[in-house]
Amino acid sequence: MRAMTGQQHQLPEDVRDKLARAVRLEWITLGYLVVTVTLVTMVMGNSQAMKTAWVEDLLSAVPQIAFLSALMYTRHRRNPKHPYGYHRATGVGHLVSGVTLAVVGAIMAYESASGLLKAEHPAIGTVQLLGHTVWLGWLMVAVMAVIAAPAVILGRLKAKAAGPLHNKLLYADADMAKADWTTNVASIIGVLGVGVGLWWLDYAAALAISAGILKDGAVNTRNAVLGLLDARATTYDNRKPDPMIGEIEAAVGQLPWVREAAARVRDMGMVFHIEVFVVPRGAVGLDQTEEALASVEETGWKAHDVVVVPVRELPDYLFDGAAREE
Amino acid sequence: MLTGADANGPHKFVQLFFALVLLLILSGCGVSIPADPDGTLDSVRGGTLRVGAVPNGEFVEVSGPAGPRGAVGEEQVSGSEVDLVRGFADELGAGIEFYVAGEEELVRRFDDGSVHLVIGGLTDKTPWESDAGVTRPYAERVLGGQKRKLVMLVPPGENAFTSELERFLDASAAGAAR
Repeated sequence: MRAMTGQQHQLPEDVRDKLARAVRLEWITLGYLVVTVTLVTMVMGNSQAMKTAWVEDLLSAVPQIAFLSALMYTRHRRNPKHPYGYHRATGVGHLVSGVTLAVVGAIMAYESASGLLKAEHPAIGTVQLLGHTVWLGWLMVAVMAVIAAPAVILGRLKAKAAGPLHNKLLYADADMAKADWTTNVASIIGVLGVGVGLWWLDYAAALAISAGILKDGAVNTRNAVLGLLDARATTYDNRKPDPMIGEIEAAVGQLPWVREAAARVRDMGMVFHIEVFVVPRGAVGLDQTEEALASVEETGWKAHDVVVVPVRELPDYLFDGAAREE
Repeated sequence: MLTGADANGPHKFVQLFFALVLLLILSGCGVSIPADPDGTLDSVRGGTLRVGAVPNGEFVEVSGPAGPRGAVGEEQVSGSEVDLVRGFADELGAGIEFYVAGEEELVRRFDDGSVHLVIGGLTDKTPWESDAGVTRPYAERVLGGQKRKLVMLVPPGENAFTSELERFLDASAAGAAR
């Protein structure tokens, strides 16, 4: 029964394909992560830079797990107890990821800084490899160089999938994965620094890596909080208001019986909850509101949960320069 | 799809690349990898290896009184680890001096370089790991009914010296196995 509200229960075919692809990519990334973490654990030794890189690797699993588990929730149908559905799970996952990154980044930064201040010289000894005694630093450099490329490739693929899906959590994850190689380069520089006797380079590299983790955490926490505070929907990279808002207002505004229309759009995680306020030219009936509803849903699959409300005048808080609290 | 991260990616890459090149140049001008920040290996090679010895069972046995700062004569010390470090000093073309004291005192002497090495049947469970470098285990012994891995203590972060010692211990172990 659709009277004043509409909801497309199913995502369109191509979106579902992209989502399935994104999920596949996340699983592949998690599998790859097990390999890299194991390798780095084997050669980590006493290098602060390597330890920090290892922690960052582990942390990168958080947004992925958050994305996958949020997805399990968002598939649930809405019900009387959850009339808006479960889409917010994505936002919650985003917030958890952001806070985790920020806290762990801060801890790692503190560790690196205190090592630097105490001037503890990192000890990197040797290992026995096929009967030869080899400096462990060479192995660290080799491992870090080898595992860098696949992570970047996966990151780029995820970034491609994230845009059309309008999933900020996935986008953040992809964004971090694309920058992953800088961690590997930093840890290589740190280890080689120790190699030539510049012990502080190890801590400097560790500090740079932790600063990156901390920054990712802060940015993601901020964006997730904004989303959960029902900020106006933005593009997936949080750069500008989502163009769909204008498209919706234009689509409804050009109906012959509509004098003016304004939309209130919030991001539920991957889809939008949209309320369109319409000032009609005269009397308005069910046919008109359903027509308006259909025109909104045609603007795109993200118009998932739509309400059309006929009003005498548009709410002034939707316009800049007016902040009348009622 | 270009994003901000992509836009400054190449720029960052160039910076890091130059940093790497700089390091390689550094390593090219006479610095061997790994190097000692405090130059322990260079000062020992052709000089004197100062060994801190903790009396302990078959590993380090001491007879007679010790002199100032725990210095003892060459003939006063014996044991399996004493023999090992004598071999290490020979390989480096260095003389050898022994100082007998407690572990804490000897570990503290790493700070001013008055001791280069501490021996005395220490295992990889040593509590001094945060104040000293620990070599890779060079052998296993059953101590107090438990399998323990034997290590030596070295100045923290003197990686060239540590690697040289580990290389020597590996070679000795291989020689003993033959």
